[in-house]
Amino acid sequence: MDILGYLLNALTPFNLLLALVGVILGTVIGALPGLSATMAVAVLVPFTFTMDPAAGLIALGAIYTGAIYGGAYAAILVNTPGTPSAIATTFDGFPMAKRGDGGLALSLATIASVAGGIVGAVSLLLLAPPLAKVALSFGPTEYFWLAMFGLTLIAALSVGNTVKGLIGACVGLFLSMIGVAVVGGDVRYTMGMQRFLAGIDLTSAIIGLYCVPVILDLVATADPHLKPSETGGLRFRDSLRMSLNRKFNVIRSSVIGTVIGILPGAGGSIAGLVSYSEARRSSDEPESFGKGNPDGVIATEAANNATVGGGFIPTLVLGIPGTPPDAIILGALLVQGIKIGPTLFTTDADIVYTFIWGLLIATALMLPVGLLIGRYAYSFIIKVPKAILAPTVALLTIIGAFAIHSNVEDAQLMVVLGIFAWILNRYGFQPSPIVLGLVLGSIAEQGFVQTYLIGNASGRLAEMFFMRPISIGIICAAVLTLVFPIWADWKSKRRAQLAQVAEQLADDGTGIAPEPKQRDVPGMVIAGIFIVLGVVIYLGASGMSPLGSVFPKTIAAALIAFSAILIAMNLRLPAGGPSEAIELNAAAKHRIALGAVMLAWVVLMPAIGFLVTSMAAFIAIMVIADYDNPPAKMWAIWITAGLLICTAFWWLMAEVLLLRMPTGLLF
Amino acid sequence: MKRTVATIFAGLLAASPLAAQSAEDFPTKPMTYIIPFNAGGESDISARFQQSEWEAVTGQQVVIQYQPGAGGAQAWSQLNSLPGDGYTVMGINLPHTVLQPLAGSVGYATEDLTPVHYFHYTPNAIFVRKESQFESLDQLIEHAKANPGMVTFAGSGSNSANNLAAVQLNQLAEVNTTYVPFSGTGPSITAILGGSTMAGFNYATSGVSQGDAMRMLAVASEERLASFPDVPTFKELGYDIVGGAYRGVAVPASTSEELRQRISDIVSQINAQPAFIEKMESAGFVLTDIGYDKMDEFVAERVEEYTAGAKALGIIQ
Repeated sequence: MDILGYLLNALTPFNLLLALVGVILGTVIGALPGLSATMAVAVLVPFTFTMDPAAGLIALGAIYTGAIYGGAYAAILVNTPGTPSAIATTFDGFPMAKRGDGGLALSLATIASVAGGIVGAVSLLLLAPPLAKVALSFGPTEYFWLAMFGLTLIAALSVGNTVKGLIGACVGLFLSMIGVAVVGGDVRYTMGMQRFLAGIDLTSAIIGLYCVPVILDLVATADPHLKPSETGGLRFRDSLRMSLNRKFNVIRSSVIGTVIGILPGAGGSIAGLVSYSEARRSSDEPESFGKGNPDGVIATEAANNATVGGGFIPTLVLGIPGTPPDAIILGALLVQGIKIGPTLFTTDADIVYTFIWGLLIATALMLPVGLLIGRYAYSFIIKVPKAILAPTVALLTIIGAFAIHSNVEDAQLMVVLGIFAWILNRYGFQPSPIVLGLVLGSIAEQGFVQTYLIGNASGRLAEMFFMRPISIGIICAAVLTLVFPIWADWKSKRRAQLAQVAEQLADDGTGIAPEPKQRDVPGMVIAGIFIVLGVVIYLGASGMSPLGSVFPKTIAAALIAFSAILIAMNLRLPAGGPSEAIELNAAAKHRIALGAVMLAWVVLMPAIGFLVTSMAAFIAIMVIADYDNPPAKMWAIWITAGLLICTAFWWLMAEVLLLRMPTGLLF
Repeated sequence: MKRTVATIFAGLLAASPLAAQSAEDFPTKPMTYIIPFNAGGESDISARFQQSEWEAVTGQQVVIQYQPGAGGAQAWSQLNSLPGDGYTVMGINLPHTVLQPLAGSVGYATEDLTPVHYFHYTPNAIFVRKESQFESLDQLIEHAKANPGMVTFAGSGSNSANNLAAVQLNQLAEVNTTYVPFSGTGPSITAILGGSTMAGFNYATSGVSQGDAMRMLAVASEERLASFPDVPTFKELGYDIVGGAYRGVAVPASTSEELRQRISDIVSQINAQPAFIEKMESAGFVLTDIGYDKMDEFVAERVEEYTAGAKALGIIQ
């Protein structure tokens, strides 16, 4: 009953206020791609030095959980994960929003996040010390197989297009190797450029790969960004009913999220991907995943918010932070003079339990806060004219990529990757396998090399890789995930044959492109380029230390092999495919203009200054995205709004988040 | 709204060059302290300890930002492009800033960086988990002699202080052990606690945060640590290994001599705060007071020492 007593400590008006403000702030920051929980928590830590430790922790925890939840907004409404945890939310959230179910998707995300957050926090409350052992039972081998399991999701994401998916994954894995290697210390594939030393930043790559193509398509036509909802609103009742019908998915995903949250270094993105994959595997209609299946949104959002509570378990029990925000909170606790470790739950029980109750309260507060913010965000995205929406989203991508390290080079990389992603996507190479490779690459590589070193030292290499109980479990799950889509595909084909009904799956462009029946010449050309890239990667690895070169050589070989297979497969198909000449129609002109403006924006920003380039680019994109030809008075209002938006974000970054803004000649 | 207007005005004012202010008045506005690593490591935690004293010493707050990447090289390679007005300082580490440029092209050279104060160091130490069969360093070395290559050490990073110490031990004890690099102290401690590796080369600070869960077999300091009076030094055991990671504060090269000295003095004053000393020492950090005046000599000595170490690591011929 002691534990319940601490609930009263958490229920003081001041603590409730902190939880509420924290959740609101966190949700907004999380919804803006690139502005992360880590950043918000880092800035606010000093304010907690003077607070009571439990109150400070509640504020930081509320921001953290709010930010993980807020990531869903951008994922659903603009196909861009607001935080890497929401990568898998885009798979079904954005298709739902496109077809007019955006409000429903937001409500589902809210309910799932609250449920997942509560499962995670309750686990922290009741089971922290025993669950911390999970963190220790995961060695390098298990991390390697967990990454492999994550990669098997590619098979599911690219049904009918598996070879292109595998090529995309190899490209992502290659991107993850750029920079200084943790294992071996080699400087790899930086082409002598300082900007690549730290590697490709995951967040800016995600923003580029997912969001830039959306903006390019947004300006290309006059069609609305999202189909307006038929019933309007967030459809909270519907979503509650749907969530209750899917309670098994909610619970399973929350448990997966909690367990993966406990693993230091894994984090919300992997939790979301794994539970998405599990939800798809156990579904009766796996083929509808990726086309707007509510189960996909529920699985990801329940899992990623469960990692918040889960991540605090190793942080508080072992002093080993589960995620970067946990690490900052750990530092804040140490400054307060609190000794982290197994004894924390007895010696400082009042602080810890008050904090956990506060985290639970904050999680519950996400429901009203989320529904309120969601309503405004959704109606803004639906109602705002394209001429405002497109530049605002573009501004957010630039800000997001820049803000991670206060570095313009990240923004430049984001734009370039985004344009590549659009071109690749047009020819059937989707961004998700690339992102998966990028997310999982370093975990896979470190796990592999560490396992190899340990196994080699003890002369039990095969045993290390294949005989550990948890590894065997993960391998089985991976094999199931890999084989299942193929089996399900075969089963559905068989069913179709039996019913003698030609089943034509609707393809609205967001789903999986059907396998071309004729020779895919552009695909072959791109595969040819990737073969060259593979050779370059392989040759580049020759000067590295043995530890640092194992992975690049393997990936290069795989990239060459898959690309060769793609070319060979196409050679067997009849020639004379859709040899569409690249014609310069209106849509293409709009796209090229937008790409040029965004490139100019990031190239000129360091020389001229953030605010001036942003305002100029905002107005330029407004012109590109305008299809309404409004009167001059409307233009005046729009431009004023644009200037205000730019200034507001500049202020937020320079004065609230205290980032170093590029000033250049002007400001 | 008032604040916004005020901020815009402040921004405009800041854009116009003001007369250079005297170093005595410095600082007159909040400072930024960039940590070239992720949160939660030794660099972050010691900086957070400083942060809690910063306002009392300088009258201004300090804001900590993280710019992780390439083992710190990402941030260090950009240090000199930051404004040299004293308001932006960066954490700096040894042996990282010596070993990295030796190992490859990382965008900066050791002598490009301007450390103004090294305020503490964390000695290397060998750890085993509490369930381990090894009670002393001798037992571990005996085991390593009997089973060449089989003893595995988890440590933080390649070409790092931990890695250097592991190589030194191999040479001095004439054994062959395997060093397994992890992406930071957290993951390498997890590997030791979970039994993935037999032992670990980490910093002594981990001994405090893990309490009874890990046993420290030996520490690479000159003298025994106050927080671990029962743990012998390597020297006592007959191995001449003294080392670890030094952490300090650096400024962009364009910073004036007066401001360099002033910032060095600020760090020294924080180092003398009783509350700071108490927190640092009980967390296992060893305070040092290497100010700007002693910096050239100190860095020169370290460069010599680590260059020899780099040869042993095989990163230079």
